[in-house]
Amino acid sequence: MAGLETFYEVMRRQGITRRSFLKYCSLTAAALGLGPEFVPQIAHAMETKPRTPVLWLHGLECTCCSESFIRSAHPLAKDVVLSMISLDYDDTLMASAGHQAEAILQEVMEKYKGNYILAVEGNPPLNEDGMYCIIGGKPFLDQLRMVAKDAKAVISWGSCASHGCVQAARPNPTRATPVHEVITDKPIIKVPGCPPIAEVMTGVITYMLTFDRMPELDRQGRPKMFYSQRIHDKCYRRPHFDAGQFVESFDDEGARKGYCLYKVGCKGPTTYNACSTVRWNEGTSFPIQAGHGCIGCSEDGFWDKGSWYARLTDLHGVGFGIESTADRVGLGAAAAVGGAVALHAAVSALKRAQHKHGNGSNGSSHTGDAA
Amino acid sequence: MTSIDPASLHTAPPALPATIDGEPVGRVSAVYVYEAPVRLWHWTNAAAISVLALTGYLIGQPLPTLSGEASQHYVMGTIRFLHFSAGYIFAVGFLFRIYWAFVGNHHARQLFILPFWSRAYWRGLFEEARWYFFLEAKPKKYVGHNPLAQFAMFWAIGVGSVFMIVTGFALYSEGAGPGSWQDHLFGWVIPLLGGSLDVHTWHRLGMWAILLFIIVHVYAAIREDIMSRQSIVSTMVSGVRTFKDDDPD
Amino acid sequence: MTIQTPNGFSLDTSGKRIVVDPVTRIEGHMRCEVNVDSNNVIRNAVSTGTMWRGLEVILKGRDPRDAWAFVERICGVCTGCHALTSVRAVEDALDIRIPNNAFLIREIMAKVLQWHDHVVHFYHLHALDWVNPVNALKADPKATSQLQQMVGPDHPNSSPGYFRDVQNRLKKFVESGQLGIFKNGYWDNPAYKLPPEADLMAVTHYLEALDFQKEIVKVHTIFGGKNPHPNYMVGGVPCAINMDGNMAAGAPLNMERLNFVKLKLQEAFAFSKNVYVPDVIAIASFYKGWLYGGGLSGLNVMDYGDYEAVQGRKETDRLPGGVILNGKWDEVHPIDPRDPEQVQEFVTHSWYSYGDGNADKGLHPWDGVTQPKYELGPNAKGTRTDIREIDESAKYSWIKAPRWKGNAVEVGPLARYILAYAHGVDYVKGQVDDSLGRFNALAGTSLTPQQALPTTIGRTLARALEAHYCAQMMLDDFDHLIANIKAGDSSTANVEKWDPATWPKEAKGVGTVAAPRGGLGHWIKIKDGRIENYQCVVPTTWNGGPRDPKGNIGAFEASLMNTPMERPEEPVEILRTLHSFDPCLACSTHVIAPDGAEMARVTVR
Repeated sequence: MAGLETFYEVMRRQGITRRSFLKYCSLTAAALGLGPEFVPQIAHAMETKPRTPVLWLHGLECTCCSESFIRSAHPLAKDVVLSMISLDYDDTLMASAGHQAEAILQEVMEKYKGNYILAVEGNPPLNEDGMYCIIGGKPFLDQLRMVAKDAKAVISWGSCASHGCVQAARPNPTRATPVHEVITDKPIIKVPGCPPIAEVMTGVITYMLTFDRMPELDRQGRPKMFYSQRIHDKCYRRPHFDAGQFVESFDDEGARKGYCLYKVGCKGPTTYNACSTVRWNEGTSFPIQAGHGCIGCSEDGFWDKGSWYARLTDLHGVGFGIESTADRVGLGAAAAVGGAVALHAAVSALKRAQHKHGNGSNGSSHTGDAA
Repeated sequence: MTSIDPASLHTAPPALPATIDGEPVGRVSAVYVYEAPVRLWHWTNAAAISVLALTGYLIGQPLPTLSGEASQHYVMGTIRFLHFSAGYIFAVGFLFRIYWAFVGNHHARQLFILPFWSRAYWRGLFEEARWYFFLEAKPKKYVGHNPLAQFAMFWAIGVGSVFMIVTGFALYSEGAGPGSWQDHLFGWVIPLLGGSLDVHTWHRLGMWAILLFIIVHVYAAIREDIMSRQSIVSTMVSGVRTFKDDDPD
Repeated sequence: MTIQTPNGFSLDTSGKRIVVDPVTRIEGHMRCEVNVDSNNVIRNAVSTGTMWRGLEVILKGRDPRDAWAFVERICGVCTGCHALTSVRAVEDALDIRIPNNAFLIREIMAKVLQWHDHVVHFYHLHALDWVNPVNALKADPKATSQLQQMVGPDHPNSSPGYFRDVQNRLKKFVESGQLGIFKNGYWDNPAYKLPPEADLMAVTHYLEALDFQKEIVKVHTIFGGKNPHPNYMVGGVPCAINMDGNMAAGAPLNMERLNFVKLKLQEAFAFSKNVYVPDVIAIASFYKGWLYGGGLSGLNVMDYGDYEAVQGRKETDRLPGGVILNGKWDEVHPIDPRDPEQVQEFVTHSWYSYGDGNADKGLHPWDGVTQPKYELGPNAKGTRTDIREIDESAKYSWIKAPRWKGNAVEVGPLARYILAYAHGVDYVKGQVDDSLGRFNALAGTSLTPQQALPTTIGRTLARALEAHYCAQMMLDDFDHLIANIKAGDSSTANVEKWDPATWPKEAKGVGTVAAPRGGLGHWIKIKDGRIENYQCVVPTTWNGGPRDPKGNIGAFEASLMNTPMERPEEPVEILRTLHSFDPCLACSTHVIAPDGAEMARVTVR
């Protein structure tokens, strides 16, 4: 019955040979950055572990995470959905609607209490009593809380669920709120990105199912295996950065030679993601290779940190007006202080001259001529 | 530049030399204020800050592109290397300076102390501010920093250095990677300030704040040297504070 | 009670009310309520958009060059089309002309999106309204192979063994009891009419399409760095061309990259020709008697027109725009998105406010206001945070109601195909006549385009034909791109007006795109280098919007009218027709009891 079958049984049942199965295991090991010694372990896990039900909910979102998920090439999305997990509820893909769909939700929550994974795409808005996102006539927040209650773990897909993303950009009119701020009693894995890379999404799921544990997370709750380095750290254009060779403006000589996009605002140096290593769409390319700087879509609040094309951030977050950067503020302040100093020096000189002529010298403001 | 006429040393001293906190502040007196390690730190720090500010500025606003193969150049690499090296010198120097605050003379502690609860301190600061606004005809005499200078020094160099070291090493930890000691000690700063880009911004604002302090600091030092009642600039070279009059305060 | 709408529909709210909230297999969140009469025929329909994210509010004060990324996140399914519309609007406002290479690359990207979106929509969001995967188990693989070779003779995957393999996999899957996404479907509903062989063929292609959709998007990855959400840029495209110069190997576009693109375009062309279009025709032929769901498409259709054959010359649009009113295909009204009297949005029945005294006013998008105001009507059932039944006489949706000169119109591939047919576009006429010929031959009918197109099936067919037309056009665009590069032009961006200092103090512009779900427009006002106002009127706003002050119903509501339901508690027909529009809201529909607290339960009063 549901949930009692193992990966291996399911894969065999679906016509996958033992050989292909082992090959799949070694590919999984490679994708997770594990050595060949882990292949038997993965194979063993898949042969003996039951399939875990996944309930995939959607809040305020754009569905780009689901779209990215179905782009997964290794493993193929169809194999994930048909063989590896039991995607029992995902309103973007599921056949049923209404009562029949809701019955699945209830059934899985009862039958697999504490053993299902809740995947969240999008986030709940809190303004207007949550009615900026209505599901079944009620706020999405209600559904989220209900399903989270008995979940084993929560996966926050994408920047919406992890950080708030575009609807939470200033002034966040709906008060869209990331999942971890409303679900505080469950382990949460954040998989940020707008959207996350397909193979990162399936990689996180496969890791959890294979090793039956949470992936190791960094301080911000992201899996270290994909989010521990900046895009800049492994960028193929990094030598041009170190050499001081930059694209100065789009379609210039540097752009055609593949120079570093730092000066046209690339956020690769401050963005943690696997774009420069895993790359996108089966390793085809990634934004920097296609000539546009990284916009930092896996970073918290990336919408409010200045233009995609500016190196230095806008400072309205720290109380300065729009269109000010640290350098503008600094240069402005330096000019002001410099001016004040010059003025002060002038007045000082004047005062000193007055003093000398006025009441002679009593040594009060003298240098060595006191004698 | 010396601020005292050597001839004055040969004139007869007053019967009772004026003192502040038990230290003589008359024309013939010379108080040893800044011990050698403090002076050495001051100038090392000045050099480190100069390198850090210049290279830091260029990291945010790089120089124009160089043509040719990437392997022929290492401009950004060198700039960043200088920045990191100067950063280490700055940080190590600061740690040493903290150590010296404990083992050095009491002037060595001024940088780290803001006598917030001292009424006299705030009165002194107020008077000093009045002097700077040309509202006092005659400034007070001080052996160490005047209260206003102490205030600026405490915030810009005391707190400012800590801020720059913490944010700087937090940024450095991004390259050093998870598990590095920089990450263990300072990595928490990144999410606290809202992400890597924000830390960069704060670090750059910190640079500008210190540069503003330096403008004021250099100006005030020279001006005080001319207009106050004690030596300033030479003191940071020789360590000795001299005075221009014999009045007690 | 019966209400006669000005656009000719007769609404009867006396029958039992059925609530579907949320509707699944769409983008976004949507609710639908209908009244059915004693014969289970839909006599009143209410469409409610159930999400609002406030992007137009968020965009105020931003750099216009950054806007594309914000609006791109309106939708991750039709990913890129909002970004394209945005850069067009900004370039229109600032009078920037992009290089021809950039134009062609954007055209290829737009058509790749169109193709991808249509394929994913048909197979993964829509097919299960027509196809019964459980029934496929009864199929004879040999007969399925014959069916495949009859409808798509050039498709290589057509052997009996191939279909037997898929069937075996499916059989074991179903026998496991773990149906996953297929679980609890309406598999015994008589609304499903395909023979088992057609079901097996379609399920097989569901899996093939799932595998191939990830291939075609690689074109976006090469030009835009990633998919979903490829990168765009005001003034051109970011992917510089370096065919054989120094360091061409690290350049965004070189010979290898272009070869990669060409291969994917060719594969897409083959798939839509051999699989997608034949599948739709074959499936449709088994539903020949089910000609419901036309709604507004038989009356009023609209599109702005797109796919210029010659850059900058709107009159060369390969899918020309215009408006057809009252089903008069011989009279196409020109459309001007700048005219304040033509496109207007109303919020009488939407959860927004235009301020006191302007409740029934229509606003042109340049002067548009997006001020949320959530309130339920006096006859709504339930509470503010637990809606059991909507009151459509008051405000009832997060979608505004756009109108063209006061007329409710339908937009989308069907609207574009009706317009193109009326304009006499040869390629489209050929496609429509040919596919209708094949349909009539299979079904034994003799339907004319005027009869066949304005239906749910026609909407689905037009989408398939448009996908294939796009495959043809993007191959042409690719050839033009190569010719242009060959002629010595490798420019991809015009950065003359990159610096905001070169912009006028105030400017306004409009961008339009033939988005997968219909005519899409963005209106922007720029002041002092910043966005002063930004309004998007998206296809699902046109189709799914609520009623206007005069009582005209929109396309979703109109399309459901007079459709008989086999089993009112199983909303197969509602889903089928709503899905034929490919709604883009953000979520799924459950069915709600008018009395029960539980969501997603159909109860019939």
